[in-house]
Amino acid sequence: MFISNPETRRKISRFKEIKRGYYSFLILIGILILTSFCELISNSRALLVSYEGNLYFPTYSAFHPGTDFGLDYPYETNYRELKQKFQEEGTGNWVLMPPVTFNPYENSAQDNIFRPSAPSIENGHYLGTDTTSRDILSRLIYGTRIALWFALAFTLSVYLIGIIIGCAMGYFGGIFDLLFQRFIEIWSNIPFLYMVIIVFSVVPSGLPTSARIMILLSVMVLFSWTSMTYYMRTETYREKSRDYVSAARIMGASTGRIIFKHILPNAMSTLITFVPFTVIAAITAITALDFLGFGLPPPTPSLGELLKQGTSSLRTAPWIVISAFGTLVIILTLITFVGEAIRESFDPKKFTIYE
Amino acid sequence: MRNNEVMTKIICFAFAIFLAITGCSRLEDENSKSEAIDNTEEVDNYYLERPEFFSFKTLEDLPADLKWTSGDDLSEIGSEKAKKGGTEYRRLQDFPRTLRTVGPDSNGSFRPLLNDYVTISLAGTHPDEFDFYPGLATSWAIDRDSKTVFVRLDPNAYWSDRHPVTTEDFFFMFFFYQSEYIVAPWYNNWYGTQYSNITRYDDHTFSISVPTDKPDMASRILGLRPVPRHYYYDLADNFTEYYQWKFPPTTSAYTLDTEKDLQKGRSIKLRRNQDWWAKEKKHFRYRFNADTISFNVIRDSSKYFETFRRGEIDLFDLTLSEDWYEKLPNDAPEVLKGYIQKTVFYNQHPRPTYGLWINTNQKFLDNKSIRVGIQHASNWKLVIENFFRGDYQRMQTSSDGYGEFSNKNIRSREFNLDKAQAAFSDAGFKKRGSDGILINEEGDRLSFTVSTGYERFKDILTILKEEAAKAGLELIIETLDGTAGWKKVQEKKHEIHFLAFAVGLEMYPRFWETYHSENAFDKAFLDDGNLNPNRKVKTQTNNLELLAIPEMDRMINSYRGSSDKDEMIELAHKMTQLHHDHASFVPGFIQPSYRLGHWRWLRFPDHFNYKHSRSSTQLFVHWIDEEMREETLEAKRENKSFPARVRVFDQFAENP
Repeated sequence: MFISNPETRRKISRFKEIKRGYYSFLILIGILILTSFCELISNSRALLVSYEGNLYFPTYSAFHPGTDFGLDYPYETNYRELKQKFQEEGTGNWVLMPPVTFNPYENSAQDNIFRPSAPSIENGHYLGTDTTSRDILSRLIYGTRIALWFALAFTLSVYLIGIIIGCAMGYFGGIFDLLFQRFIEIWSNIPFLYMVIIVFSVVPSGLPTSARIMILLSVMVLFSWTSMTYYMRTETYREKSRDYVSAARIMGASTGRIIFKHILPNAMSTLITFVPFTVIAAITAITALDFLGFGLPPPTPSLGELLKQGTSSLRTAPWIVISAFGTLVIILTLITFVGEAIRESFDPKKFTIYE
Repeated sequence: MRNNEVMTKIICFAFAIFLAITGCSRLEDENSKSEAIDNTEEVDNYYLERPEFFSFKTLEDLPADLKWTSGDDLSEIGSEKAKKGGTEYRRLQDFPRTLRTVGPDSNGSFRPLLNDYVTISLAGTHPDEFDFYPGLATSWAIDRDSKTVFVRLDPNAYWSDRHPVTTEDFFFMFFFYQSEYIVAPWYNNWYGTQYSNITRYDDHTFSISVPTDKPDMASRILGLRPVPRHYYYDLADNFTEYYQWKFPPTTSAYTLDTEKDLQKGRSIKLRRNQDWWAKEKKHFRYRFNADTISFNVIRDSSKYFETFRRGEIDLFDLTLSEDWYEKLPNDAPEVLKGYIQKTVFYNQHPRPTYGLWINTNQKFLDNKSIRVGIQHASNWKLVIENFFRGDYQRMQTSSDGYGEFSNKNIRSREFNLDKAQAAFSDAGFKKRGSDGILINEEGDRLSFTVSTGYERFKDILTILKEEAAKAGLELIIETLDGTAGWKKVQEKKHEIHFLAFAVGLEMYPRFWETYHSENAFDKAFLDDGNLNPNRKVKTQTNNLELLAIPEMDRMINSYRGSSDKDEMIELAHKMTQLHHDHASFVPGFIQPSYRLGHWRWLRFPDHFNYKHSRSSTQLFVHWIDEEMREETLEAKRENKSFPARVRVFDQFAENP
């Protein structure tokens, strides 16, 4: 219903005209899709193993102990070694490895000493390794995925809560609006960082990483939805007094229908221009939290954790901070371009010139 | 208009509440200060009620045939080149949570600088010759038959507030440490059971007895440090709060003015007492040289390093290989130009117990097979080779470094996947799940949390984790900040915790603190000797493994009661063996040396330090050369250089 609106279609075509924003958007979507399959891009597990006539796809399957491929150990096969072994044997067995042959958690010290090693094509660490000899490129890929999806989930939740409460406040007004405003004023004054620290000090450490990430997300959403309500509230207030709303009400439309069907689409344009910037805020927040050590639990790959490592070994391993910083800059710039383009295309003053 | 009225009312009401709250707290504050408590009567009665512990005699009662020694002939400590003066800049990782040296939260890393390293005991252990040199006592006589040490106090010894140190302060020391006011069960126990009598002969002569003639009886007594009687007249239930940020009179060379020198959360300054009573004494005159020691809180290690490299901190412990080899390599410009000197010093000291402390009260970890499996799944060899670049050694038992008291037949379990698998499968973990982690028939995964408060060592845990996964064991790493980590183990909430206890220079290891069931549970055993199913975990003790074995308790009790050195050695060996068999502690690594980088104006004696020193600054034999500081900073500005100095002092190196 929203897309079919001719007004919206005009906005979309305007957005497409702004090439910088549009291509940034496409690149971002590309990154998002690509990182959804990062197990195929960077992994210590092979994409494909052909062993004695059988084909194995270890990437998404259960782990294969070394014994499955004629090795003598019961733990996870080292596919890089397996590949070399098969090549040396020349018996027709082969291994197809992903482009980056390391997973983000493994320590792969080149000379048996855990220290950062500089980028090198020869040993397969294209962006070098971090302080415990983990592959930086691999950690960046996985870290970016987590950051992006985290930011999207965050934005979605914040908007959902913000829109519902903001619309309700604007539509019902009166005492409901008054009370909720006071509540939001109090709520938004609770320092968010302290809450994260407090909550994480009581969260049992035994919880799986995914649960901890969900808790972090909930805490962040819990303390970030408030600012959205202001915009929604004013928008709804304005739209509510328009004739078409009165018309709908006289025709007997229900409150839900009026809010979501009539008011929301008209109030939406302001909100949409904020979306990219919320995503940026979320990525910055999660990175900052990781940097401070209150974010994603280690050893989860994350941009903030890499930045932290990078700053602590600025002299000895500048490539860590360069890679992490570079990635962050690229992603944030892309999103900013998208954001500017959206703002431009939703601008009612159509004749402003976009440079 | 009406709204305004309502608002005004609300504001007035809120203001009234605010006034009431602040008013109350001020009232309470005044109460606790002004209530003049005088415990003279209480303390005197305490002595009188325990005539067997507190005796009063006269000089005529002093046995005549005592052999008095004074330790005056022991060599001086420190260098005669040492200069007094200057300011030494050091770093604090965390601001201390209290200035008390007993009671809750007092056992932090700043405590040695308030007590252990700086205050003066009756006699000190000479860091080279392992014999006693005089401290507060000028002479002493050891009578093994009566298990008593007789002491003559230095008549010139006085507290930092000019009150003389007298026998009374040692009487009060027992009252203080035995009292419930200080909320320190360890002290209550130690001072209540490890000493049996103190006898006063006159203001400067007294004797202290111990219940058993332990081989190190003399050091137990001569190592005592008095508590200022004249200061604690108001000792009461509010001790822990009232004295939280008070600095009591001290016998140390360094004092602290809590008004001026304490910036909470940020910095602490210790100032040298120009009028220190021991400043001319033979074993102290070349020590405690800096006029001011300024400690600044720098939490982040990398920031600490950069601050050091700028010359704003005088010294940096290059313990980690990464720091020694990469951050400050021998060819770093500051080192090449001789501004910063690097030093390795091989010492002889019981080693801090770095290892994995397994909480045997947790699900699955109460199973010995699992613990044995964890031992075999911990690849310390790789940690030492890869993380410490082979500079460290594997620890064999939790009581290494005590000479004949250490059981040298025990070897820590090696990393061995087959043995680990066998042990885990004994415990029912036979199958590997889809992620390679073992599961049992109920579907439980073999997964534990390893927590630590040592941020600098978190990479060690990453290595252990990766290696353990090969054995089908999952370790979840939890890195906490120092205080939070310590709190976690003190509350016994850990599954596996990585930490080390600093160990004092003692003749033989202690077992009671870490392995006695009394420190694990309230009522650990039923009357028939079986484990009490309703036992309650005891918090705030050092039995981190929650180890409770009746046989261990029996041996610890006889060990504590024994006066026969051979018997104690045998018991120590047996206990170490039992502890090894119990497999609840995974021995990690030991550092055979300490190493540091320091600016050239922070100077050390020619032989650098002493055989039994724990760290470079523990004995305070270093000094600050302010002229050299000027010279160095100027040279740095003008890009001049001095000869580079990277030194290894291995005169006391022990064979691995």
